[in-house]
Amino acid sequence: MAGQTDMELIKNGIRMDGRKPDELREIKIVAGVLDNADGSCYLEWGNNKVYAGVFGPMECHPRHKQKADRAIVQARYTMAPFSVNDRKRPGLDRRSTEISYIVSQAFEKVVMVEQFPKASIRVDMQVVEAHAGTRCAAMTAASVALADAGIPMRDMIPSCAAGKVNGVVVLDLNKEEDNYGQADLPLAIIPSTGEVVLLQLDGHLTPDEFELAMDLATRGCMELYEKMRHALENSYGGKK
Amino acid sequence: MSEESSIKSNRKLVLPGDLMETKSKPGKGIFRKEGRIHSSVVGYSSDKSGYINVNAIAGRYSPKVGEKIIAICAETGPSIWRMDIGASFNSTLHHSESSWKVPFGDTARFLAIGDAIWAEIFMVDAAGSHQISLKKDDCRKLYSGTILKINPTNVPRVIGKQGSMISLIRENTTTRIQVGQNGYIWIDGKDEDIALAQVAIETINREATSEGLTKKIEKLLEK
Repeated sequence: MAGQTDMELIKNGIRMDGRKPDELREIKIVAGVLDNADGSCYLEWGNNKVYAGVFGPMECHPRHKQKADRAIVQARYTMAPFSVNDRKRPGLDRRSTEISYIVSQAFEKVVMVEQFPKASIRVDMQVVEAHAGTRCAAMTAASVALADAGIPMRDMIPSCAAGKVNGVVVLDLNKEEDNYGQADLPLAIIPSTGEVVLLQLDGHLTPDEFELAMDLATRGCMELYEKMRHALENSYGGKK
Repeated sequence: MSEESSIKSNRKLVLPGDLMETKSKPGKGIFRKEGRIHSSVVGYSSDKSGYINVNAIAGRYSPKVGEKIIAICAETGPSIWRMDIGASFNSTLHHSESSWKVPFGDTARFLAIGDAIWAEIFMVDAAGSHQISLKKDDCRKLYSGTILKINPTNVPRVIGKQGSMISLIRENTTTRIQVGQNGYIWIDGKDEDIALAQVAIETINREATSEGLTKKIEKLLEK
């Protein structure tokens, strides 16, 4: 957020990559791409590339994390060393630990955990290429992978960010906008009820701008939800 | 084939959270919210005899009492075996449910890790743990042969109407085949026969939702 630049991030209402303020980047979702996972998904969102794989429900390890009356969701978000410009040290760091934790919390709201006592549902998300908005991309991919794994859920959760760039509230920030913009607001909702399962804010927004950003991000999520549905319909209907 | 296509026509693909327009009672793959019925999984909905069900396309095997399955030994204890049946948890086979007289601590002599059996599920409890038995009907240890794992939701397609599909494969490949409800399939015979049967079953597993599958398999087996 703090970065300074001479770049004109938004000019005459058109952004650097030619999008309008309320437009999403191009999104491609394919379900069922990995044979060894119970369910999987590959997602391309602008220049982001993410794989998600789901394993389970299965016996929860370590044992002390088991819940006697329900399953737990163990999400794991990792970035490949080659996913960013400067090589990232592989493995979990503070950022990925946090994202893994909030994603687990979000999915425990929709997955019917009470059907699988003592079990664990593992959701592994691997960012292969990062270009801002990877937590949203990873979460969206994980939702599709969970559905693909046949895990009972109340709904799928799409996730999408809004933000503020050069004083304009915009949907779905790209890398430059994320680095040099003024705010980033990732959001995940349950489409059928409108419940918020993930909301973070990095940067500054006035209350009015916040309302506007929430509105934009919610609309982005709904648009994304349709794409997720199409991906699953193609994957299962296409085999006919 | 005509029967098959009539099943297809009233099937509808539903996704998690989809509202089901129905007056029927909720069956499996369903949840209720504010008095209305929604699907909880990706699957095909069926609405018959007063119940609405969603048959999940994917997912692990969920054991039901009385079902015949193939289990593979994963762990041995002093008086029990822990058996992999493709469900969320390993199943327990207690020595008293086996067909042998097992001295305490000598379980591995009868069933070592990796050995397979044809067994029946005889207990499932609310916590999701389950036990299997070797004392029913034709339950036995499986010697020689090979085991193939497929999606348990495709088992009815592999078996076919009144076992038509599986007997087609058996006759054309002269193999012995046993299909567990958990999607584990045991095939025994000559190596090349096993390979052919394996190809046929894998094709069914891959193209389980396509039409004209019987003709395709007939063709494949004739070659």
